[in-house]
Amino acid sequence: MSIWEKIGNVDRRWIYLAVALTVIFPVIFPLKLPMNVTPEARQLYDAIEALPDSCVVMLTFDYYASATAETRPVSIAALHHLFRKNIKVVTMTTIPLGGPSMASEVTRLMAKEYGKTYGVDYVNLGYKANYTAVLLGMGTSIEGIYPTDQYGTHLAELPLMQRVKNYEDISFIFIVADNGIVDNWISIVNAQFNKPMGAGVTAVMAPKFYSYLQANQMIGLLGGMKGAAEYEMLVNKPSMAVSGMNSQSLVHLLIIGFVVLGNVAFFAARRRKGTSE
Amino acid sequence: MKSTIPVIIAFLSGLAMVAAFILSPGKFGDVGGELLRWVSIIAGFTLLLGVISIVRVNIRPVMRREKGWYNKLALLLAVAATGIPAVLPVSWSPMLGTGDNSIYDWLFNNMNAPMMSTMFAMLAFYIASAAFRAFRARNTEATMLLVTAVIVMLWRVPMGESLFASIHPDLPQGINNYVMGGINIAVQRRIIIGSAMEAATMGLRIMLGIERTYMGGSSK
Repeated sequence: MSIWEKIGNVDRRWIYLAVALTVIFPVIFPLKLPMNVTPEARQLYDAIEALPDSCVVMLTFDYYASATAETRPVSIAALHHLFRKNIKVVTMTTIPLGGPSMASEVTRLMAKEYGKTYGVDYVNLGYKANYTAVLLGMGTSIEGIYPTDQYGTHLAELPLMQRVKNYEDISFIFIVADNGIVDNWISIVNAQFNKPMGAGVTAVMAPKFYSYLQANQMIGLLGGMKGAAEYEMLVNKPSMAVSGMNSQSLVHLLIIGFVVLGNVAFFAARRRKGTSE
Repeated sequence: MKSTIPVIIAFLSGLAMVAAFILSPGKFGDVGGELLRWVSIIAGFTLLLGVISIVRVNIRPVMRREKGWYNKLALLLAVAATGIPAVLPVSWSPMLGTGDNSIYDWLFNNMNAPMMSTMFAMLAFYIASAAFRAFRARNTEATMLLVTAVIVMLWRVPMGESLFASIHPDLPQGINNYVMGGINIAVQRRIIIGSAMEAATMGLRIMLGIERTYMGGSSK
């Protein structure tokens, strides 16, 4: 067996070990890599920045716990921006498993930091089944879809919801998602109610939504942890996503290295085999 | 009769939604909004149906001690441990319901979330292994895919971005414009338009009673 054949047949546990070490190393020894902000992240930031004081933004928590590494930093950075600008926030989720818990945990954390009051500065609507009916129905009446908030309080009892009846009263929709729900937000809420919106999505979903961005159906887009890191930089609150980019940079390089090495080994072994025949 | 009535209901509901969308609300009342509230309530019952279904499917193998019955038992116990405290009234105990510091919340934060994150994180290891073993430049198409993947992977991280910028300052933005904003959009639009047409076709088939699989039978 030649050296290339040996490389080609390497035990996958060595590959797993290399990945683990590449992830852990920059966590212990941060690399402090320079980072540029893409125009689509800048556009989203500028759109929020241009909103008037005390207007209402709907922030969605449309992601499962599995994708929190990429999406939670976006939610936190968005709330930094919104609360700092004194914008009122209404959250909701189309994810039954954990969506309301994550919305509650993140908003409570950020509200404490900025001294915001529940019911006055922000409201968590929680989850309701059948997202198509929910997204469409909120155009007519939010209370019709959500008679109570996440904690069972009637919306009429919450000061903020007394002036937020439907999409007419919402200035911007900030979607944070790990799935194709963004399509529905665009096709239902943007197309039918003409609501401006932007999204922070997982890296694997981001390419799909560039077409909405180019068609101006979406104002800005944050793709994956890189997008989250860009927004953290823009709101001047570098945190988990910025530090996570160190590991992601090295792992991407490692995988590219594996692709190159795998191909070199493959072609070298095939060439050797052809020569020997 | 058994299938005719659901088809008539589906047709009328679909027609009402289309009419509500086209006509102004004043002319048609709030029929669309009312129907959506119905949908929302019915959708709540489908969750209950899901729980009943999962219990029915899994309880029999447990009773009969079929192969892997203990996995199904674990599933049923998890459903009970998560579901029962979540639906019981908070007035009985603050640990019930789905609010902060409830049993449901604790189970989600300390069991479900770490398990889901772990499963997702393991993908990185499999992708690295698959990249090494399976991502081969066997022909022109595969080579184009491979080269594009490498470019995008580098562009999406600060290290690669700096590398491209050192070659030419406008190169990172050029990749954004030509790969993500060009080739990618062309392909994505074809998929989005295709799936939207398919959804419209399916809606029409259901309204006209051609598609009846939602009633549990086969298509006509």
